[in-house]
Amino acid sequence: MQSTDTHLNANHARKFSRRERSATLAFWAFVAPMVIGLTVFTLIPIVWGFLLSLSHAQNTIHVGHFIGLANYQDLLTDEQFLRSLWTVVIFALFIVPLTYVVSLSLALLVNRVGWGRPFFRTVFFLPSAVSYVVASLIWRVSLFNGLPFGFANKVISAFGVGPIAWIGTVNPPWYWLVLVTARLWLQVGFYMIIFLAGLQEIPRSVYEAAAVDGADRGWAVLRHITLPQLRNTSISVLLLNLIAAFQAFDEFYNILGGSGASVGNTALARPPLVYLYGLALSDQDFGRGTAGAFILTMLIFAVTLIQGRILGFGQAD
Amino acid sequence: MKTRPWQDRLGDVGRYGLLALLALLFLIPFYLILRNAFMTDAQITSFHWSWLPLPPHGENFQQLFKDPAAPLLTGLENSAIIAITTLVLQMLFSSMAGYALARIPARGRSVVFFLIVATLMIPGAVTFVPTYAVMAYLGGVNTRWGIIAPGLFSAFSTFLFRQFYLGFPAEIEEAGQLDGLGYFGIYWHLLVPNSTSVLMSLGVLTFIGSWNSFLWPLVIGQDPSSWTVQVVLSTFLTAQTLELAHLFAAAAIGILPLVIVFLLMQRYIVEGAKFSGGK
Amino acid sequence: MLTGCGRSPNGSGGRVTLTHWYHQYGETGTQDAVVRYAQEYTKLHPDVDVQVVWVPGDYHTKLATALLTSGGPDIFESQLSVPMVTAEQVVPLDDLFTPETRRDFSERDLASNSVNGKIYGIKMLDDTGVLYYRKSLLDTAGLQPPTTMDGLIDAAKKLTSSTRKGLFLGNDGGISALLTIGPWSAGSDFLVGDKIVFDNPRTVAFYDKLRALNDAGALLIGAPTDWWDPSALTQGLTVMQWGGLWAFPAIHKALGDDVGGMGWPAFDEGGKPVTFLGGWSAMVNAQSRHIEEAKRYVKWLWIDNKKIQQDWCLSYGFHVPPRISAARSAAPLRAPLPALAMKNLEVYGRFLPPAWNSAMNTALTDAVTNILKQGRPAADEIHAAAKKCERELKRLLE
Repeated sequence: MQSTDTHLNANHARKFSRRERSATLAFWAFVAPMVIGLTVFTLIPIVWGFLLSLSHAQNTIHVGHFIGLANYQDLLTDEQFLRSLWTVVIFALFIVPLTYVVSLSLALLVNRVGWGRPFFRTVFFLPSAVSYVVASLIWRVSLFNGLPFGFANKVISAFGVGPIAWIGTVNPPWYWLVLVTARLWLQVGFYMIIFLAGLQEIPRSVYEAAAVDGADRGWAVLRHITLPQLRNTSISVLLLNLIAAFQAFDEFYNILGGSGASVGNTALARPPLVYLYGLALSDQDFGRGTAGAFILTMLIFAVTLIQGRILGFGQAD
Repeated sequence: MKTRPWQDRLGDVGRYGLLALLALLFLIPFYLILRNAFMTDAQITSFHWSWLPLPPHGENFQQLFKDPAAPLLTGLENSAIIAITTLVLQMLFSSMAGYALARIPARGRSVVFFLIVATLMIPGAVTFVPTYAVMAYLGGVNTRWGIIAPGLFSAFSTFLFRQFYLGFPAEIEEAGQLDGLGYFGIYWHLLVPNSTSVLMSLGVLTFIGSWNSFLWPLVIGQDPSSWTVQVVLSTFLTAQTLELAHLFAAAAIGILPLVIVFLLMQRYIVEGAKFSGGK
Repeated sequence: MLTGCGRSPNGSGGRVTLTHWYHQYGETGTQDAVVRYAQEYTKLHPDVDVQVVWVPGDYHTKLATALLTSGGPDIFESQLSVPMVTAEQVVPLDDLFTPETRRDFSERDLASNSVNGKIYGIKMLDDTGVLYYRKSLLDTAGLQPPTTMDGLIDAAKKLTSSTRKGLFLGNDGGISALLTIGPWSAGSDFLVGDKIVFDNPRTVAFYDKLRALNDAGALLIGAPTDWWDPSALTQGLTVMQWGGLWAFPAIHKALGDDVGGMGWPAFDEGGKPVTFLGGWSAMVNAQSRHIEEAKRYVKWLWIDNKKIQQDWCLSYGFHVPPRISAARSAAPLRAPLPALAMKNLEVYGRFLPPAWNSAMNTALTDAVTNILKQGRPAADEIHAAAKKCERELKRLLE
């Protein structure tokens, strides 16, 4: 991938400036709709949000009452907010590797079978069609309700285990099982598809060459051929997954609290966006709400950079 | 084809066994939605577990479509229009941008890419209220385009298209240039036809995302005639009377179109990822 | 359909359209009812149209967002908060009352809608809490309705069997349902004037006792529905349940006369029974272009019109009409259990003042969760939460 790009660049350096101008023109023509759209509906709101984060903006989104970094200072000394950052880091540590391993394994399994492949692919991708609201409802009401007739309790009762209050129990913290399985179910199918596409892009010749070199099937092939060939795909999957994990909101909000539940359980595991939702939309303190979101962005940015260092994200560019 | 050793066959049996087990696990929630959709509220919260809704209460669905307070048909229609428009335009805009970012060397390219990745990292929570204010300024509140417009521009899709086009074989592009194709020609005649897999999988995902979005359509739309299927669904979640059976029935109806789209498209998803023929 | 067509300032002469937002009430018929009221008003005032907007789902977010721009509703329902007044989102409505109508609203309904002595919201319905219990099952166990927290814990334990729990307080073990009810029953309070006052031994004692109740194994946890929904009681999952008076019709239908009700019992001899005062209030958007028309409409709808109040509160669901005379003359409220609940509300009803916000609620909720679920020392947690609430309050009032 890298070579293609530099190759083009080298080619391009030799061309005269008219071609360079036409390239620039073409580039901007192609990105124009996206750039304009993102500017109006995302960038301007981001800048607006940033100015709000420097303002005292209570029940208003007018910028003007500037108070410097007071909102940031307030949040960084707010124990509840700091705990929410900690919560989301732990969540990401669980969910990102799990999603990676599960979706890659599914892709490898599905890719190896001939008969029935479309069926399995569809089954695993199908949960992507379900919204977090609906999934949370199933998880809370039917799958993991705490009574003997809840599905999970029905299943464990077959092994002689008594009913567990999955969502309210802290020792051990079963609610993490509830939260993690919900997200896994919803998202692994999509990442599996990305991996499948990546797997099919690996040229057959690479495997054939390996076979000649005497590399056996199984782990050796996976480690020395498949995984390196999937490097770009893996980077995309990890990056997107990591960002999504840090922005977790829906399952925490809907399974532990939300419409139709007591909010007491939200205190068990409250990621930053749930906390900030309370600040910004329940209390309408838009200054602190946006400041918190920018702190979270910094955290995401930092973690992405670290991950990039480890996996070499920068090189792929 | 060589005759396959017995270890391979054993491996096959193991793989199929494992896949079947996983498939079963993945289908449990769907089974629960359907089971609950055909039950009464009392059966869903009953102390006695039953595997099947017997007798099935199909009238849940009839009542849903008759309920004037929850215009389900209108919701399905609105969601379809919104999701299809979003799908087509978002795929167009993000594949164009992804192509340019991956393949057209130009000044400012890395700046644009950085901006797109940065918007990916900033949670929508920052932008939600300001975006509403921008929309109010543009006069989009209470209109259909106001519901659709922000969803057309996706940093996520652009990022994935760019990653995909980065890996596109340079030979195809060079062949196109020799044939006298300009940037647009290469994009339209060579890259788009060879991006079926990404277009399909991202397209399906975009469709789902648009279909399932709730808060924005709720905040922008006002009249029940503008409600999307998710907004209609939320009417069953209100306080004071939780109608579980209707809620699950409505959820089943909300998911059904997506399942149909999946089944129709699944052939193209992934399988299209072979551009060996493109030479 | 676009709103806000009337151009002429304050509608002098021209035709005016008022937009009126409601959150979606669950009860069948409520939407038709509010549309009917609006039409009735137009019949009496042909120059004013009222467009009702019925909002399902996340009403608070939609309302909060709309109030930030000029495109919000003219009239809306909400619960009053201090920043709504300081940010000038609502207008004072004191001049809509005559001395007579003002006396006909309870002090609580006026105070919960007042900031700095001015009234900003007109109560549309009163909600209150009831501790429901199955009479027959208490009789079988030889129990009287409990009058103290210890009695309640004892009863809950005795009523618990293999198929049924003794008490249901919500799936979080009562954290949210009793967050303020509990300390009130022990004689404590939360926010008085501009002071946070809950950091005291009585508050701590209640939450400690709530932990004991949670540890007793007598609470229903993990039910498919929560405390405000009657299913757990009507399905026989629990013998006693803290719920709302709004659930009474469903409970009565399912259990007939085999149900009794009371307020939340006094913590001990030093406490007193308590219940909450909840509900919704109508307010007028300060950014409305038709403030005067909107105020007149609100006065007609929620102050003067007792018949509408009774219809609204009792024909569809089960709420107490805010006007005392309307509540007293309403037939459905004369049945024994509702009559008792209404009396409890009059004598023991409590509410949180408009200066209490969700940040404070979250801080307190976290503290109580730590006490109940993590077993942390209650006094420390409550002290820390009070400090945080004081900071929040200072921010709010500055």
